[in-house]
Amino acid sequence: MSDVTAPRKRNRTRTRQDHVVTEPGVTRRTFVKAGVAVGAAAVLTSRKSTVQAQVPPPPPAEPVLCGTTPPVSPPTTPFLDVLSAPSAAVPQALFPFPTLAANTGAGEAARANHQRWLEFFPNVFYQMDARPSLHTFHSNLLPSYMWTFNNAYPAPTPLNFYGVPSLVRFKNNLPVATASFGRNEITVHLHNGHTASESDGFAGDFFGTGLFKDNHYANAYAGIDAFGGIGDPNEAMHTFWFHDHRAAFTANNNYLGLNGMYIVYDETDPGHELPIGDSLQLPNYYSVTDIPLILTDKRFCAAANGRNELFQVVGAGAPGGDKWVVNGKIQPRMTVRRRKYRFRILNTGPAKTWNLTLVKPDGTQGTMTVVAVDANFLEHPFNLSSGPLTVFVASRYDVIIDFSAFPAGSKLYLREAAAQNVGVAASGLPPGLAIENVVMRFDVVNREFWFPPDTPPVPATLCTLPVLPPPDAFFQWDFTLVNGVFLINGLPFDANRIDHVVLQGTTEEWTLANDVAAGNWTHPVHIHFEEGRILSRRVRVSQNPDVFQNVPLTFDELGRRDVYPLPPQHRVVMRQQFRDFLGRYLIHCHNMNHEDDFMMVRWDIVDSIEELSTKRREIDRQRRLAGVRPQYEGGLV
Amino acid sequence: MNRRELFTSFTPAFALGEPLATCGSELIPNAPLRTHEGKTVRFYDEVIKGRQVIINMMYADCASQCSTVTSTLAKVHEALQARMGRDLFMHSITVKPEQDDPAALKSFAEMHDAIRPGWTFFTGDPYDIETIRYRLFRMDHIKFDTDLSFHTAQLRIINDATNCWTCVSPFASLYTVLEHIAWADPPKSLEERLEDNRRLQQKIDQEVRQYGYRKIV
Repeated sequence: MSDVTAPRKRNRTRTRQDHVVTEPGVTRRTFVKAGVAVGAAAVLTSRKSTVQAQVPPPPPAEPVLCGTTPPVSPPTTPFLDVLSAPSAAVPQALFPFPTLAANTGAGEAARANHQRWLEFFPNVFYQMDARPSLHTFHSNLLPSYMWTFNNAYPAPTPLNFYGVPSLVRFKNNLPVATASFGRNEITVHLHNGHTASESDGFAGDFFGTGLFKDNHYANAYAGIDAFGGIGDPNEAMHTFWFHDHRAAFTANNNYLGLNGMYIVYDETDPGHELPIGDSLQLPNYYSVTDIPLILTDKRFCAAANGRNELFQVVGAGAPGGDKWVVNGKIQPRMTVRRRKYRFRILNTGPAKTWNLTLVKPDGTQGTMTVVAVDANFLEHPFNLSSGPLTVFVASRYDVIIDFSAFPAGSKLYLREAAAQNVGVAASGLPPGLAIENVVMRFDVVNREFWFPPDTPPVPATLCTLPVLPPPDAFFQWDFTLVNGVFLINGLPFDANRIDHVVLQGTTEEWTLANDVAAGNWTHPVHIHFEEGRILSRRVRVSQNPDVFQNVPLTFDELGRRDVYPLPPQHRVVMRQQFRDFLGRYLIHCHNMNHEDDFMMVRWDIVDSIEELSTKRREIDRQRRLAGVRPQYEGGLV
Repeated sequence: MNRRELFTSFTPAFALGEPLATCGSELIPNAPLRTHEGKTVRFYDEVIKGRQVIINMMYADCASQCSTVTSTLAKVHEALQARMGRDLFMHSITVKPEQDDPAALKSFAEMHDAIRPGWTFFTGDPYDIETIRYRLFRMDHIKFDTDLSFHTAQLRIINDATNCWTCVSPFASLYTVLEHIAWADPPKSLEERLEDNRRLQQKIDQEVRQYGYRKIV
């Protein structure tokens, strides 16, 4: 016992008092309670050992960065590591107990009161501790310094149910000073939760080290006011993800690992495969037959100080990677049984767009059945057997792959169109497939008796799209780039300025217009709060600025979306409702480097005509002062 | 041992206020530059090292953008007067060093009421200036990084002591520009941050009472 505590004590005395972040408001009593909650084993042993069990692992030393020139990542042997799903997050008791108003005395970050708190009083509680930790991306690499939730990259996945509200306590235990390029203040956004503003991770609502924030997730469908109960079941979304949204440092903090997946089940997608109720019986056992594929690209420094640090340059955005990473592993393999699997593909960016194909053992393209786009079921599943699945940053595609058509022993590959750096030769690949393009490998085996049997064929109809009401107002968002600054409707992002106000309960038809002159970027525009529907897409085809041509919508644009890919000179007309909650929300380009360059705009939802017209008048007044065109000349409401 | 410390979630890797292993010397060229007062200084060692600085690019006969930016900077200077020249500095670097000699910079500064403590204008060898511009303002895009006009429109804020870099558009509101400059302030102690948090909560509560939700600043 004393052997363990002695060096810790020495360490403490060396630290200056003001550097030690003590959790405010924690008394000895709550501390002992927390110890009890850990489990009976802890209670049975002496109090001192309970104390030991509570002490988290010491943080890793800060990274030593490897210069400003992007290095070539070290070679890694393909298919050495095994792909696994992020662990399911374990609900836990929270001390102090979450409150309606921010518990600033205990160190909760300032916020407005939770909306609909009693109506959706949380039943399930999670804690996500943002802290520095080490993660090994590949067996050939040494650990890398990262910022993760609960010491895991990707973060543990909270598995939730519609009708069971949850609350996630995000605690900031990041270092007070860091040598990494991250920013030790966080605000966590649940993408694209139908979430009240104070829990939505607004970019300006970040909080520093030592503080925490309770994000209240109603886990209800949109349309609570209109439909009662938990809202309109046709508004169901299932595959969410949460990530840091700190203004100007989103790319950096996400590159360092502050993101994870969040799944909500309901009757049609219940988390099991049994023929019960309205279940669609898709492959649905989390981490067994229902696997998140969380994609990102990273670049590594050469081994030094026992680490392969992530390449990063302080002051710059997130660098482009030369290693394709899936669920925190480089080129892993996964054993699959001869049955259907569901993969929840998520691109966590920061900036790369993925073009994925499934490659069969003979080198031809395999079929992926897309069932959901951006967390929303498509009305009818789409069999993608030619052309890539293009996944923009923050987009999610739930695909079903049926491995029963392949004999045991066959190997299938997930291919990305762009090449990475591997550095190790590989043999036995299908003809025409280069190892540089391989993201991961599927090894097909026969199904063991204990493994869940195959699910029935994917139903021809997955959902009924909600009724789209006629628009109450029209609005246009112009994305431009002037003198190196991204502007939206002529102004740069300012978290303290509202750029559009909408009335709760109304529907607006918005045109997203990409007039960024020099860029050839397709901006994945993300709109917070509710799912929208793309109505049409046009592209400017000549020098005449008013000549547009219609672009037919692709299969993934026919349903509901929250990320709207916006190529140059495009106009996307979409319609969205604003129901149930009030407050401040965002539109931004989800290329996180652009988002950090302030390609972002704030809009608010209010609940009275008076407030709407007051705020719209104020917006136009400020726009006139700033020398840009007022927005509401046609009328304030 | 204080039991409260058991809840300490981490031991800070660096002590507050002590200089970090900064990457400033690696990133920022230590080129000799000339100030509007005609002095020659080393850009990293004498101008940035260990300090919190606000840097922008400009040139003397720039018609519209630079004047707007410079007047914003003048407002920033007024707001942060107490710190200027002590622990906060403002550096304006010309993008056209071949036209802007110290005298031209000085007259530009006089014209914009920018002869103030802690505010320096720089010119120098075009190669050095180009390197500095690229190192401080690059967007990793060939078009933007080669177009000079793109770099007159961003303020770079660096706290070299804490290795914190951020930037802000000078066309945002003064409130926002000041907020971004504060992001690079030396880290505060937990007590100070909790106090800030309490003040913010009071502000939010007041706004909610007064306006229904959060108001326009």
